[in-house]
Amino acid sequence: MEINKFERYWLIAVGITLGAFAAATIIAVTVFGIRLPAPVERIDPQRLDQTIFANPGVRKIADNRYEAVIVARSWAFDAGPEAGNPAVLRFPRGSQVTFYVTSKDVMHGFQIEDHTLNLELVPGQVARATANFNRPGTYHIICNHYCGAGHQVMYGTIIVE
Amino acid sequence: MASVTFPQTLEAPATPTTLKLVKRERLMIGAHIIAALVSLMFGIFMGPFQTFHRSPTFVQYFPTIPVFTFYYQAVTAHGVMNALFFTTFFIIGFSYFVMERSLQRPIKSVVMGWAAFASMAIGLVMMLFVLLTMPQQSAVLYTFYPPMIAPALFYIGLVLLALGSWLASANIFLTYRDWKREHPNERVPLAVFALVVNFIVWCIATIGVAVEIVFMLLPASLGILKVTDPQLARTLFWFFGHPLVYFWLIPAYVSWYTMLPRQAGGRLFSEPLARVAFILFLVFSVPVGVHHQFSDPGISASSKGIQTLLTLIVSIPSFMTAFNVGAALENAARNRGAKTLFDWPFKQKWNDPVVAAQLSGMLLFIAGGFSGLINASAQLNATIHNTSWVPAHFHQTLGGAVTLTYLGIMYWLLPAIRGRALFSKKIALAQVFTWLIGMMLFGLAMGEAGLQGVPRRALTSQSPYLSPAGAFWLDVTAVSGVILLVSSILLYVNIIGTLFFSRQPMPEAEVPIETVSGDRTSPLWFERWGIWLGMLGILLLIAYGPVMTEVLDFQEGWNILRYMPTTSAPMP
Repeated sequence: MEINKFERYWLIAVGITLGAFAAATIIAVTVFGIRLPAPVERIDPQRLDQTIFANPGVRKIADNRYEAVIVARSWAFDAGPEAGNPAVLRFPRGSQVTFYVTSKDVMHGFQIEDHTLNLELVPGQVARATANFNRPGTYHIICNHYCGAGHQVMYGTIIVE
Repeated sequence: MASVTFPQTLEAPATPTTLKLVKRERLMIGAHIIAALVSLMFGIFMGPFQTFHRSPTFVQYFPTIPVFTFYYQAVTAHGVMNALFFTTFFIIGFSYFVMERSLQRPIKSVVMGWAAFASMAIGLVMMLFVLLTMPQQSAVLYTFYPPMIAPALFYIGLVLLALGSWLASANIFLTYRDWKREHPNERVPLAVFALVVNFIVWCIATIGVAVEIVFMLLPASLGILKVTDPQLARTLFWFFGHPLVYFWLIPAYVSWYTMLPRQAGGRLFSEPLARVAFILFLVFSVPVGVHHQFSDPGISASSKGIQTLLTLIVSIPSFMTAFNVGAALENAARNRGAKTLFDWPFKQKWNDPVVAAQLSGMLLFIAGGFSGLINASAQLNATIHNTSWVPAHFHQTLGGAVTLTYLGIMYWLLPAIRGRALFSKKIALAQVFTWLIGMMLFGLAMGEAGLQGVPRRALTSQSPYLSPAGAFWLDVTAVSGVILLVSSILLYVNIIGTLFFSRQPMPEAEVPIETVSGDRTSPLWFERWGIWLGMLGILLLIAYGPVMTEVLDFQEGWNILRYMPTTSAPMP
């Protein structure tokens, strides 16, 4: 079986292209520190009151550093009474926020507009991700995983001041 | 432009024999093709209506959109009918045709063939019944995970489809085995080689979804099982969900490799390398499903990284196909008088619907393939995960390359089965080009909307969070929906015309049949399937071993189904 000269060149070009894609992925992790969601903890969605999700809300943990604990349910993001419904969260510019989110009923999604934060909320799993809010503006939290007839109105708002 | 010398692998060009379809074949293949067209009819028309429902401007002017007023019912029907029933019926019918014609022998068991068809057809009837009569409860989409549970009929319909497809797979494997016993030192024709690969991929992939349905969803739906684990279910679903797309793609490649060169007036560049491409599909198309789960919390980043790299590798056979089929098309154009470096794409038979459909599918596949490489990159996925970028991608691969190629096949296969010429070539051409334009626009608009943060499969016309840019691109999507609706109507006009109103006899020369393998150089051990299955097994251990350990979470004991109560789909 012989491989034609031109096809060999083509395969080399393909190899270089895919190598570049793979290298970009590895650089994104090692140099830019982009992190994918990874296992945090398993919890019982029926007994959220025995976990950190008993009291959803935003806590300041250091200068410009916050923790936001949010419970997703059909069809709202519950970020505590202060945030209201639909939830509105306010952060000063330059904040680094770590989100802890879970679902208490069906699958939901958690995506922040214009930020690379995109989580699947799987009942029984705690999802954790960190976002940096450096540009002032209003960004929506969008449920991007189908969760029933009210899916399209499930959202929250983040205001960066 | 100096012409490229073709590798001297073809001693004798494959010679088409005359087409004499016996009644038994026409009934069997015809039944599958008709069932595929019925499934497609219920699926295809749901597409445009979704784009109308999603567009804020369209809804403003037409507040009531007829046909499937419940948007999520339309999404479910569109996915289940197009992606699961249409494809499976079509692929099995087309595969019987290719097996019988290429091997010059009937399929192993006609009885088993009809049993398989009956199982799938009953599944189709059950599914249509549940989708049409219980729109709210059955709206669990075609990516069905717990804890959202549909009525039991939904899952029983799917089980019957899978059972039928396994029987059909067995029939195809046994037919191949019989041929191989009679021809131990011959290479099986390329088309059959590819189909054997395809049904192996299918049988392995469906194990995942079968476990999800039989042990999790169906018992939950019947009320036997009260708890479930969504993370495990998602992992099982996507073990099936990605190889599934290769199950759709490989039959299209069969047409591109073994039929299109002759239809276009050229010949294939290298048959041995085509076989290498299909072997790569066999080995690499299964251990990649986690790239649909990059945003899942229950799977580690390293497991996701492994499957990112494997996904990049599974694009290699498609790049090989682009070269090989591209060279065949250039050869066809040179035969037709193309002279310069870049005139060969234009010197194709763009006026032949069978060729034009496949070429249009390839054009869409260029965009769809590269957007797939973007999706496969774990970090870029965070930008577009579950946004409308994703349907943009798979409407250019599945709605584009696969569907247009299937329709191109349909434009000769349906007349061959019916024994009459295609009702109208002009309508067929108009259908192909409106589909090409509509799907290009759809891909552009949905992709742009996705980059603006618009989620996929949400009734966005009612979403408070919709940005002006997102709304604009959704309105453009509705325009593409109008074009695609026209295209779909043209398709069914031609199908009904061919079935009932065509009076011309079928021109036999138009039916492509590969009877002899011209390949004399590819090694015979290419057909030692144990080698490839062994490699696949090792890769599955590497790719899915850690994933399953994380998902099953043995540290906390074996009781994996310990947390989540099941619910029926939320009512509006």
